[in-house]
Amino acid sequence: MTDKKNQVSRRQFLNYTLTGVGGFMGAALVAPMVGFAVDPLLKGEKDTDFVYVMDENEITNEPQRKTFKVDQVDGWYESQVDRTAWVFRDENGEILALSPVCTHLGCTVDWNSREEFSNEFFCPCHDGRYDKNGVNIADTPPTEPLHAYEYKVEDGKLYLGKAKSRKEA
Amino acid sequence: MKYKNIDINQYVKAKEYIDTALIPLIPYSFSNDQELEDLALQGEYIYLFANQIEKELKGRVFLTPEYYYLKTDKITETESFRLEHLINHMKSQPFKYIFLLTFDNKWRKVTKDMDAELIWIPAMKGGDLNQSETQQLVQSQIEEIQSLIKDSWSE
Repeated sequence: MTDKKNQVSRRQFLNYTLTGVGGFMGAALVAPMVGFAVDPLLKGEKDTDFVYVMDENEITNEPQRKTFKVDQVDGWYESQVDRTAWVFRDENGEILALSPVCTHLGCTVDWNSREEFSNEFFCPCHDGRYDKNGVNIADTPPTEPLHAYEYKVEDGKLYLGKAKSRKEA
Repeated sequence: MKYKNIDINQYVKAKEYIDTALIPLIPYSFSNDQELEDLALQGEYIYLFANQIEKELKGRVFLTPEYYYLKTDKITETESFRLEHLINHMKSQPFKYIFLLTFDNKWRKVTKDMDAELIWIPAMKGGDLNQSETQQLVQSQIEEIQSLIKDSWSE
């Protein structure tokens, strides 16, 4: 019945299984460590994603509303979301791209939408106000200036990155 | 604000600022295939409307969990009682303004005496949510509803 040639001895069998199982356990230990070590590399890409928004020569002194799409990883799923920016040149000629999200509770602010507050960003929820540079006006609910997008200009094209807090301003 | 952990954390700290509740009313029925299709699509539309409205007015509007009910020819007394109970519960939190968002015009009569404002949108049949014409139409209606909510704040 049994074929002597193909039989594995007890010692061999144990050797094989131990090496096999040990190898798996070793891999299980090492894989996450390697993962952690190169994690910043894997993640870094997402943080620095810049998206084309408009041509540089279209930027005016008056804020213009621009929407663009970014890929967002939200825990479990990845999706494309719309972002909005108010893009203009400030009095020093510097490009400023402001996020329209009110720093109070996250409503969407609008530029120059109220007659009584001309040349200001206005939040319809609790009458929060910001001056043209997005700095919050005292005695209104917001506690910090509107966030500004990181930007870069390449070949006359404006690219926007992440909106960052400007609390020190 | 949405009914999500991250938003609730913010909500409980800033309750005095969030005085408006938006309740989407979503009917369903499995008795008729055509109706089932229409209602499912309408449910998607309502979800879209509610989310977009909340997005712009996040700091003052709380989008509550959807209110689901069985679609019948007439809104039953039990159903209107259930909704009224919910409205009273929200009112006592206190939410000062309560908006009901629906495609179902049968609510009009029933909610007359309730302490909430009904936003009725004419039903959308067919149409593709991904088509740009539909999106434009929906967007313009959303803006109308947002200004209606803002107007009631400044009254």
